[in-house]
Amino acid sequence: DQVLLIVPETFQQVQHLQLLHSTLLLDLWKPLMPEDIMAGEDLHIRVPAPLVQEVKDSLDQHMISYRYSFCIFSELVDQSMPRERSSHKQVREGYVYTQYHPMEEIYQWMTQIRNNYSELVTQHFLGMTFENRPMYYLQISQPSNKPKKIIWMDCGIHAREWISPAFCQWFVKEILQNYKSDPNIRRFVQNLDLYVLPVLNIDGYIYSWKTDRLWRKNRSPYENATCYGTDLNRNFNSSWGSVGVSFDCSSDVFCGSEPESEPETRAVAQFIRSKKSDIACFLTIHSYGQLILSPYGSTTKPPSNNDELIQVGKKAAAALTGKYGTSYKVGPPSLILYNNSGSSRDWAHMIGIPLSYTFELRDNGTYGFLLPANQIQPTCEETM
Amino acid sequence: IPDFGHKYYLQFSTEDYRTGENAGSCLATVLYPRKKSPPVVSIKCSHTKDQNEIQEEDNTLYQRIRQQSKPITGSNIPDSYGNIEPALEPAWALAVAGSSSIMWEKSTEDLGYFLAQVKSVKQWMRKDDFIEFDYTVLLHEMPTQEMISCHMRLTWLPGHPLREKHFCAPQNHGLEEGSGLGSGSAAGLSEERGANF
Repeated sequence: DQVLLIVPETFQQVQHLQLLHSTLLLDLWKPLMPEDIMAGEDLHIRVPAPLVQEVKDSLDQHMISYRYSFCIFSELVDQSMPRERSSHKQVREGYVYTQYHPMEEIYQWMTQIRNNYSELVTQHFLGMTFENRPMYYLQISQPSNKPKKIIWMDCGIHAREWISPAFCQWFVKEILQNYKSDPNIRRFVQNLDLYVLPVLNIDGYIYSWKTDRLWRKNRSPYENATCYGTDLNRNFNSSWGSVGVSFDCSSDVFCGSEPESEPETRAVAQFIRSKKSDIACFLTIHSYGQLILSPYGSTTKPPSNNDELIQVGKKAAAALTGKYGTSYKVGPPSLILYNNSGSSRDWAHMIGIPLSYTFELRDNGTYGFLLPANQIQPTCEETM
Repeated sequence: IPDFGHKYYLQFSTEDYRTGENAGSCLATVLYPRKKSPPVVSIKCSHTKDQNEIQEEDNTLYQRIRQQSKPITGSNIPDSYGNIEPALEPAWALAVAGSSSIMWEKSTEDLGYFLAQVKSVKQWMRKDDFIEFDYTVLLHEMPTQEMISCHMRLTWLPGHPLREKHFCAPQNHGLEEGSGLGSGSAAGLSEERGANF
């Protein structure tokens, strides 16, 4: 469809336009009534797509000039890309956790963190993304002679959910800055190993900074590079391809050509498989919706330890609400959200990890994916 | 409701879109005719604010827009970092209200929407007292996760209902709605939409 902007110059042109309107049943946007069309006055008329050519030909024949209302937006839209951030000093204690950071700064941050807290933190390679970028996770582990269970947390599996990587960075900072002084955190770190993957979908995240802020998937090409991206959270081997997915590459929930078809999925899955008997809890962080999701998305049949999963989830939600009053719902997506298959959370549980959750952070749709940076702190504090 | 569709009875509380303050509660029924939008809604709300307060706020909003010396234009509201320029807040507020009408029309029992972003806004100056805006809005569609682009023309005057006209870019992909229950009955998947298992 097109909205045409016309300023008829003569009475004859007005009459012709009124005729066009009545014979083709076009949609007047301004004025609203055909009898109000006047020479020298703005006329805005919406033309359905199949009639556009015919209308334009008719206007040309009568020497009536027109513009498209969408053209006005092209200048505006071109200014739309995220402002280039000028200079960011990479400062040690000066990293600003209450701002969103592009990927290169997050890579630098990881190096800083492992240097500043080398007694606790090591950085490990997981695999390469499609566009050949390294995926790293941080291991926070206090040396001990007892074997320790692992808590895994990944962020940024969906590119546009910027609050998610922001949370992983915040989480790491909170743990490391407070483990000496805070007894709870100290106990946590003594008894458990934390593995944190700050950005899983690195290519997609970069793409959401440079090109399309609302991109979701990764950037692997399909159909002769006419179509890009798999939804990594539909690409795991958990009832893959059965529900809540599309086999059309242009869909935002395209599940890939087969389970683990994507290098990012494989990198995570291979690692988790190798450690699965030691992993007590698998957490994957998303936005938005304010939900704590337990398995499964593909069926309402509850997992074997459902009572435990829900009980733990509800405790987490209560603690979260206690901070700033933000309310979270707890349950499986098949009941409280929508059916979907191939999610990392479901897969982790299916291979034997007992506690597996997806967190959907703030908000409830007001800002959605475009959560203002001034909400990073409260969101992260309550989620801690 | 046999041979017709599903009817839902709802009781819910409302809150201010921006501040989260309690704004009242509503009772509603929503009737989804089988597979066709829009749903038929009947609703009754009690507001925490009284009529005078609401009218006053409408007038304040209206004046904020009228007092601008130049036509309001803007893009990417909120921006990538979630910021909304104060001068663009009124235009955004009207977009939120206008988009809700588009979303109501498009929604079905299986498809819902949120306003993701106002891609662009341009004000049309009028000789009369009405306010008029052209918008491109992006609607986040659930559960497909798609971003639907819509062009919306909106007019308003306090005391009058908001009027909007719109058209949305067509979307081609639907979702597999397989009955994927239980343990991996995923044999024989088809590439086409609406495959039966």
